[in-house]
Amino acid sequence: MKRRTFLAGLAAVPVAGCGLSGNTASNSAANGQVTGEITFQTWSLKPKYTDYVNGVVDAFQKQHQGTTVKWVDQPADGYLAKVMADASAGSLPDVINVPPDLSFPLAKAGQLVNLDESLKDAKPEYLENAWQAFEIPGKGGCYGFPWYLNTGPIFYNKALFQQAGLDPNKPPANFKELEEQALKLAEKKIAMLGQTPSIADFGLYGVKVFENDKFTFNEPKGVEFVESYKRMYDAGALIPEALTQNYTGAGAKFMAQQTALNPGSAYDLGKFKTDAPSLYANIGITKPITNTGSANMFLHGVSVPKSSKNQATALAFGRFVTNAENQVKFAKLASIFPSTSKGGDDPYFTTEDGSDEARVRVAAAKQLKTAVNYTPVQFSDQMREALLQQLADAMLGKKSPKQALDDAVNECNRLLK
Amino acid sequence: MTHRPYTPWLFLLPGLAVCIMFTIFPFLNMIVLAFTDASALGSGQFTGVDNFVRMAQDPKFWLAARNSLLYMVCVVPPLVLLPLLIAMLAQKIVPGIGIFRTAFFTPVIASAVVVGLIWTWLLDSRGLVNNVVEALGGTRIGFLTDSTLLLVSSMVVTVWRGLGYYMVIYLAALANVPKDLHEAAMVDGAGPVRRFWSVTVPSLRPTMVLVAALSAVNGFRVFSEIYLLSGGSGGPGGASTTMVMLIQLTGRGLTGEVGYASALSFVLFVILLGLLLITLKLNRREDQL
Repeated sequence: MKRRTFLAGLAAVPVAGCGLSGNTASNSAANGQVTGEITFQTWSLKPKYTDYVNGVVDAFQKQHQGTTVKWVDQPADGYLAKVMADASAGSLPDVINVPPDLSFPLAKAGQLVNLDESLKDAKPEYLENAWQAFEIPGKGGCYGFPWYLNTGPIFYNKALFQQAGLDPNKPPANFKELEEQALKLAEKKIAMLGQTPSIADFGLYGVKVFENDKFTFNEPKGVEFVESYKRMYDAGALIPEALTQNYTGAGAKFMAQQTALNPGSAYDLGKFKTDAPSLYANIGITKPITNTGSANMFLHGVSVPKSSKNQATALAFGRFVTNAENQVKFAKLASIFPSTSKGGDDPYFTTEDGSDEARVRVAAAKQLKTAVNYTPVQFSDQMREALLQQLADAMLGKKSPKQALDDAVNECNRLLK
Repeated sequence: MTHRPYTPWLFLLPGLAVCIMFTIFPFLNMIVLAFTDASALGSGQFTGVDNFVRMAQDPKFWLAARNSLLYMVCVVPPLVLLPLLIAMLAQKIVPGIGIFRTAFFTPVIASAVVVGLIWTWLLDSRGLVNNVVEALGGTRIGFLTDSTLLLVSSMVVTVWRGLGYYMVIYLAALANVPKDLHEAAMVDGAGPVRRFWSVTVPSLRPTMVLVAALSAVNGFRVFSEIYLLSGGSGGPGGASTTMVMLIQLTGRGLTGEVGYASALSFVLFVILLGLLLITLKLNRREDQL
């Protein structure tokens, strides 16, 4: 599995996770003395953010005399394997950086501390939607401090729009316009999109993705959505690689100006500027395409495993790393956004200075207030693969959209058990 | 001179410990897990032969087995013959032959990821090969987006990567072919082609069997080529998935079905063992004739 953090890429990382019932995280441990040594594991923050993390660690150690935080950074490649090996061996670090979709299986296996039980006063410090992203609806319990968030605009290539006779200042504002414009671009042999829809796209379209403990994206609206993609695919509005590509691949195709539109983040804008200046000169930025009024949100968090021998210190550190002050500092460095309830009030996220970066940043910060993590925490890697494969069969005409979605939902529900 | 009876074991101990820890124990564990519903975070319950029953009814398994078999059948002949021909050229002592040998051996030492990326760039729908095809008036070919062509493209990469490795094996074997046999054949009037079939090939037959066995096992176990060229997806709709890729897709991550993936691995092991035993038996039978 190739996974990118927001810091290394953007918002393709489906994240969300939390919740589960019956956790017996010990309050006594949480209320114990904040002292001793803990290990803090992050996901690909070195070397770019070394000074920042060291600063946070030093500040915590100063605030809590007698504590020692050992920071370990793991590269993005192999992060999952590392967490898996540690979890299997029962030797997870005291504080780990995990997105919700990683925290979910760990919580399900009873390996993470339930913050709703251990730190009952922590919840109001965070954005409600960010906290919820670490919960499983209806089951209660939260298994990670929300850390950094991201959402993003849609980027489009104005030059390609112009080549197809489309108004470069009127990008698609909804899914209907997306199809109409994609078909017009296809007439000029220009592809609009670089990948088939992800599970989050179904959510953005307004499809009920997960209800009553099972996947439901094969509902009529889901079928309608796939039928729209099928029409676009048949017309050549999706590049051939779209059938096998993940977010990273689609981003690369957009950078190479082989597709006309791609979702992105504030981070990407900087990347276009340095790595694809000819694209940057023609870049258009617009709001996310959504039928629900809410944009998609991606987030990372930090969790405390139950196996931690120093839970009180680990919980205190997890809360410290994700407090408003530290998150705002981090967000200013890394084109991400704070998940704390007050972090977004900083002028940095509310005031434009005329630059594209500031415009994207302010718009994204505004979006985040109502953004939703459309990827259910239960949506695993195997389910992602099943959806991709079934959508490919639908696009190639091997199956009807309805049949493909039925098969994808059946497989996802089987894997859920 | 005598020694204590356990002395050889002391010398063997380090290697044996590594072998037990990293080969034998995981192998035995895989067999145990194949009969459970284990996940990445739990050892699971004993489920008898449920995993194997599921496998028999799983179209993905049959597709992956078919693709792996097809892969093996297609890559073995070129990997047995082409390196032999190249080795015969490479054994000539002529100026600059070192460069020639190095060129063929380079893919062997190159990282699989780098090789995969280079070929992806070459074969992409907007890659170099397709640009040339289009410039010549043709239409772009879906080397990486058509499930059949994706398999063929992967086979080409496998053969390309294997040429140098098997060439070295043949070079060693060719050095052992008695020169007097060639000289005797020449005296009898045999030309280069006749000498190749009547002297070189019979002398190299054990080596060719070895190369066939190794390339068959590697072909059936193919992973990196197909994984990299398909971007980890197994091709459109997963139609180009091979056995090892299916195992990886099934068992990976915190939500992986480790029990079922182990059962798939066990079946793969049995198939490969069967292949090797058949090869060995055929070789012995020919030796006896």
